[in-house]
Amino acid sequence: MMAPALSNFLRVIRAPLAAILLTLALGFLLVASITDEPVRAYRDLLLANFDSLGNFALFLNRATPLTLIALGVVFSFRAGIFNVGGEGQLYAGAVTTTVVAIAGASLPAVVLMPLAIVAGFLAGAVIGWIPGVLKVRLAVDEVVTTLMLNIIILLITSWLANQVIRDTTAYGAVSWMVPSSIWLPPLPFVPRATSGFLVAAVLAVVSWVVLFRTQWGAEVRAAGTNLRFAEATGVPAARRVISAMVIAGGLAGLAGALYVLGVGHRFEQNFSPSYGLVGLTCALLARVHPIGSLATALFYAAMLNGAAYMQISTDVPRSLVNLLTGLLVLLMTARLRRAAQAA
Amino acid sequence: MNLTSLLAAVLEQSTPILLAALAAMITLRANILNVAVEGMMLAAAFAAVAVGDWSGSAWPAFLSALVVAVVLSQLLALLTLRFFADFIVAGLGINLLAAGGTLFILERYYNSPGGLRPIAFPDIWHVPAGSLSWLPVLGPTFEGQSIIVLIALVAVPLTYVFLYKTPLGASLRAAGEDEHAARSAGIRIAAMKALSLAISGLLAGLAGAQLAMDKLHFFLPDMTSGRGFIGLAATLFGGGQPWMTAAASFLFGFFGALGDRLQVFAIPSQFVLMLPYLAAIIGLTFARWRILVRNRPARIQDNLQ
Repeated sequence: MMAPALSNFLRVIRAPLAAILLTLALGFLLVASITDEPVRAYRDLLLANFDSLGNFALFLNRATPLTLIALGVVFSFRAGIFNVGGEGQLYAGAVTTTVVAIAGASLPAVVLMPLAIVAGFLAGAVIGWIPGVLKVRLAVDEVVTTLMLNIIILLITSWLANQVIRDTTAYGAVSWMVPSSIWLPPLPFVPRATSGFLVAAVLAVVSWVVLFRTQWGAEVRAAGTNLRFAEATGVPAARRVISAMVIAGGLAGLAGALYVLGVGHRFEQNFSPSYGLVGLTCALLARVHPIGSLATALFYAAMLNGAAYMQISTDVPRSLVNLLTGLLVLLMTARLRRAAQAA
Repeated sequence: MNLTSLLAAVLEQSTPILLAALAAMITLRANILNVAVEGMMLAAAFAAVAVGDWSGSAWPAFLSALVVAVVLSQLLALLTLRFFADFIVAGLGINLLAAGGTLFILERYYNSPGGLRPIAFPDIWHVPAGSLSWLPVLGPTFEGQSIIVLIALVAVPLTYVFLYKTPLGASLRAAGEDEHAARSAGIRIAAMKALSLAISGLLAGLAGAQLAMDKLHFFLPDMTSGRGFIGLAATLFGGGQPWMTAAASFLFGFFGALGDRLQVFAIPSQFVLMLPYLAAIIGLTFARWRILVRNRPARIQDNLQ
């Protein structure tokens, strides 16, 4: 019984694993050409996150938004929408949570905390809803609309952070602190890690159940495979696609909300090292699978943080990771033989 | 006077968008949604500044911008056509590679992650001031524009002639419209797609060179700021037709130039900077809505995507 399941699992992860290994190998050649200690550099890149509890906490904090955005991407891609708008949805969520938390500072924490989180989720959901509706009703290309929305949202948040909720005592475009009564508690046993990671991990499992073990999820996937066919068989496909996009945007918005309440405690205009695109990378690397996305998000969080440790210990610039990400995304969907023609 | 300066600003703002739009259009006709224009532009702009700084003359800088963009386009062609990678994913990979690669080079070899600002930079040929004073409105509009602006304007009829009046262009369109039919007519699909990507790279390289070499003479990691995607939107807005695509590019360029003017008033700059992107979304929505209304049971929808 076990053997076929295991071989199936190996077959599924073979291609992404090959892409990762090929990219890391190419990166190693590059690192070896610019430093005398390529092994040291790579050890720090991949493993320095586990050197101390502090590093480990930062690693989990990094993985939290990546996981949530990747889960959002999974919902949208399963519904057939090429959603590149994670960054905008994340920022919409983060800034809305901050605005609600600052405006409602006089409310009791039991009211304000859920209110702020829900507001962040809803803000992301609205930003996901727009390209979803435009795609389903008018066939407006979602790649373009989500990319344009990213830029628009970033400009709106820049205005808010600079002119409206700006902490005038601080340097840079940052908002006032949110009330400390609604900060997320740290993770048990890992003092400086946000408990948002638990939320992300639980939602990864929930997403899998919803997408693969409910009728709603089956209908979303049917709509994503072939919208017209799904409509013809009686599935309300257009509505399923739009609601999948609402959830996708909502999850990215939640990533922003949990970042503000759990890690940043305020809105910072440049808090995201393009989490949106990296989250997309994680989801695609995981072959748009929710549990797989959790694994790839952890891998990527290790790389992103590891790059900083690597830059300190050797003279390899941390932007090596950006370069490797580009290579990885480029190679990710490549294969040696033409895939069997999908329906 | 004020009108001509606005026209000149529109022309200047539109040129990179127009070139990016033509770059996206030529691949769209071969049935490729080319999201990599942005990355090819960025790499080209970097190459122009780096080579201009190193060589001290304009033509090597200009040519290296074109070469880098075409090389990237052929890397994309190799991965998608030979190794069957997904066009959009690999295209985003090109963008990430261009952004990560330029940042890496800036950090590693120039020690300045913020950008590259050569102290002296060679000038590319600009239309000399006063040389067109005999033309009433257009003269002052064109004076001081770079040669790339002129190339961009010529590129519109050239792409039109190539696509509609040459056998090669017809084959390219056939490969994009119906692969199976084109293949049975003896057209080599992969070669056509690679060709369209190469032309796309050339045009994106021109766009990048214009960004870096016209007025700015420096490179910033985010200097393309979505212009490649606005170009893509202009192409979709123009339905893949050269003239309509050019018109849409000028419309978006107009909103960009308008934004610069509005900054004088008390409107926060962010809302002004937003205009071309908002215009792109609204314009695209309007274009799709019109098509939907005009031909209800539409097969054209599939062709344009």
